[in-house]
Amino acid sequence: MRLFFELFKRAFQRALTYRAASIAGLMTNFFFGLLRAAVIMALYGSRTDVSGISIQDAITFTGITQAILSFLNIFGSYDVMNSVSSGEIATDLLKPYSYFAFWMARDFGNAINQLLLRGLPLILTYAVFFHITLPNTLAQWLALAVALMLAWAVSFSWRFLVNLSAFWSPEARGIGRLAFGLTMFLSGFMMPLRFFPDWFVALCNLTPFPSIINTVIEVYLGVLGGPELIRALLSQAFWLVLLFVICQLVMRAGVRKLVIQGG
Amino acid sequence: MSIISVTDLHKHFKVNKHRSGLAGAVRGLFSTESTLVRAVDGISFSVEPGELVGYLGPNGAGKSTTLKMLTGLLVPTSGQLLSNGHVPWRERKTYVARIGAVFGQRTTLWWDLPVIESLELLQYVYKVPRERFRHNLAEFRELLELGPFLNTPVRSLSLGQRMRADICAALLHEPDLLFLDEPTIGLDVVAKERIRQFIRHINRERGVTVLLTTHDLSDVEKLCERVMIIDHGRLLYDGQLAALRDRFGGKRELVVDFAEDEGAAADLSVDGATIIERDGPRVVYSFGRETISASGLISLLSARYRIRDLSVREPDIEDTIRRIYEERLLEKPSN
Amino acid sequence: MRHTLDIYRRLILVQIRSQLQYRVSFLLDTLATGFQVFISFITLALILQRFDGIGGWTLSEVAFLYGMVEVAFGTMDMLFSGFDPANFGRQVRQGAFDQLLLRPISATLQVFGSQFIIRRVGRIAQGLAVLTFAIVSLNLNWTPAKLVYLPIVIASLVCFFGGLFMIGATITFWTVDSIEVINIFTYGGSEMMSYPMHIYPDWVRRFFTYILPAIFLNYAPALYFLGKPDPLGLPPFAAFLAPVAGIATLLAALAFWQYGMRHYQSTGT
Repeated sequence: MRLFFELFKRAFQRALTYRAASIAGLMTNFFFGLLRAAVIMALYGSRTDVSGISIQDAITFTGITQAILSFLNIFGSYDVMNSVSSGEIATDLLKPYSYFAFWMARDFGNAINQLLLRGLPLILTYAVFFHITLPNTLAQWLALAVALMLAWAVSFSWRFLVNLSAFWSPEARGIGRLAFGLTMFLSGFMMPLRFFPDWFVALCNLTPFPSIINTVIEVYLGVLGGPELIRALLSQAFWLVLLFVICQLVMRAGVRKLVIQGG
Repeated sequence: MSIISVTDLHKHFKVNKHRSGLAGAVRGLFSTESTLVRAVDGISFSVEPGELVGYLGPNGAGKSTTLKMLTGLLVPTSGQLLSNGHVPWRERKTYVARIGAVFGQRTTLWWDLPVIESLELLQYVYKVPRERFRHNLAEFRELLELGPFLNTPVRSLSLGQRMRADICAALLHEPDLLFLDEPTIGLDVVAKERIRQFIRHINRERGVTVLLTTHDLSDVEKLCERVMIIDHGRLLYDGQLAALRDRFGGKRELVVDFAEDEGAAADLSVDGATIIERDGPRVVYSFGRETISASGLISLLSARYRIRDLSVREPDIEDTIRRIYEERLLEKPSN
Repeated sequence: MRHTLDIYRRLILVQIRSQLQYRVSFLLDTLATGFQVFISFITLALILQRFDGIGGWTLSEVAFLYGMVEVAFGTMDMLFSGFDPANFGRQVRQGAFDQLLLRPISATLQVFGSQFIIRRVGRIAQGLAVLTFAIVSLNLNWTPAKLVYLPIVIASLVCFFGGLFMIGATITFWTVDSIEVINIFTYGGSEMMSYPMHIYPDWVRRFFTYILPAIFLNYAPALYFLGKPDPLGLPPFAAFLAPVAGIATLLAALAFWQYGMRHYQSTGT
């Protein structure tokens, strides 16, 4: 926890120091949000409601996804991969905490930063330009908080797992690009999954990806009834546990390979 | 006619300050401060064809900035600089065709290519005639012992191998001038020695003028007759290495082993030298150049006592230069 | 000039050879890039099906626009990858750009030759597939003029996107971190240009008409090829301004790039 706090503080300082870059990043996210909102409006045309999602909800969707984009690292991360390929991992493994926890703490520090310094201002800017929907009960806010944390944890575990491919392939970046491209399209980042035909949604639900974005969106918009909501959160938790276990197993195999073959 | 002549060269940078700590970062939101850094602050020197000059200075002294201006990578803030008949940054392409440069931390070779293919590409880049290329490569290959890794991709070379390949690459087009930035940094003793021998070779046999920056004073001791010392952007010293030692070398030491029976007796002290160590028959004297010469001291001692053995210890060049930096022995530039 | 082109050819060959060395990774990467374009088109298609087109354009019509932009962006991304701002910014910080300045040939040419990412053929191929699908399903009225003009439009788009990459690369001479905002113009530009431009708010469209002449490169020519009426009231010759807009962008970018290099030589990093 202390490690997390230190990392968080440092990332926060960095963001303030390079505020030109931070502001530019915010503008970028906002600009893409505008584009996506324009596409949504053109798609809706004169419709007001599609698959239970009102036009206002759909515009809100573009804002929320842009806001949590960097919190969840949707475009992927390659840090662990770099540490494995460069051999830095050897010193990291000697440190008295789990490798997974170490990166998780780092990622969390960074994620919270992104949520506060990127996500929050973005959604506020959005509120100036568009009429956005807000969760209207305390229960909904609480559920949103839980869904967000689970989404981040699932996203982190998935990215960590993808990064571990570096143990076996010297060119793991290609695998990363493929995997993270998949995440973007099957998570409901581009469009709410409700807009898609049933077969496509069923396909997505066989993967952990909807737990990363779609669940958060549906919880936020309040389109899930009580039992559905519980089921969605449980499904997030299920994927988290599963990915966590796989990460541990793969990690152990990777380290064994490292020790035996010397990298 | 000098091959390099530099007059009152300045390079100043504006640097934005980042305040430290969280409070500093928050304050930085409202105002930024910038400071003017005088990386090179009025230096002048000239180099004659065929010289091998060492350019020394601590980190951040202005060595690399000078080198970047000499190679045309940076435009000076003010001052004149003429090298090999060109103003480097103004006639970049014609100028760099006749120089070689190796920046120790960066490779000029293509990362994924075997060394030989990189060298062949450079042959086309510099339009080296095929015969000359073959001849030079054969020579350098032997001197630098490139043979074992000519077909290895650059990314899999050791640091020492990469440096040798880079030095070879910098010389295939037979430049008049060679700039080396920290050519031996991070290398082991054997690799360092091989590179030094090669530098000496191309300087003596081919008459290439060499300017090299280094941290490693043994490079200087083994290679350079002339050194320039820079600190805080100013030249502190420019002259012969031997003269530097004479002027700032501090005290020399004479170690004398007296015959057994002399040891216990007299006080053994001599005018102009002080005893700094006494261990049975062995006595160590320390003496300055200005008070007495080594031969003077020896004849004085041998006139009075019976001596079994003696040796003179010269002060370390490293100590000398450290003293120049630390005590700022040369306040003004020497020219 | 002949020497310069010869060096360029050699540099590119070197890139190709070294990328083909890692055959598995090359295949995987090509598949990955192609796959991304494919899946992004599939999702677009599913959405357009659900909503019956967008802004009065059918799926096939949007696919035409989309295919054109993808082919052009993929080609550009291959030819201009040395200028990819993220990558180029790193090169500058690590001093690799200095190494180019130490060689007696044009630095611009060397940047062109420093990266040639052949896995982009995946993206180009997928773009071509989408374009072909559009052309086949639209049953367009092809005239010889249109047949000649289509490759010209795509080439102009390549120049346009290449100019944007160059501008982005030049900005990294000033910024320490390669800043994300450059993505607005490169990736953002290509994404927004995949949709008919009349769906955007006025100020966005104005920006992409007067500041960056994007509208003359995708929307106006597409209206001409598809034979659709123009809801924006662009002048009739707007469809034929593509080469002018493309080349002007590239030339402006080159001038800015030269200026950036001079700035770099006076400040370093």
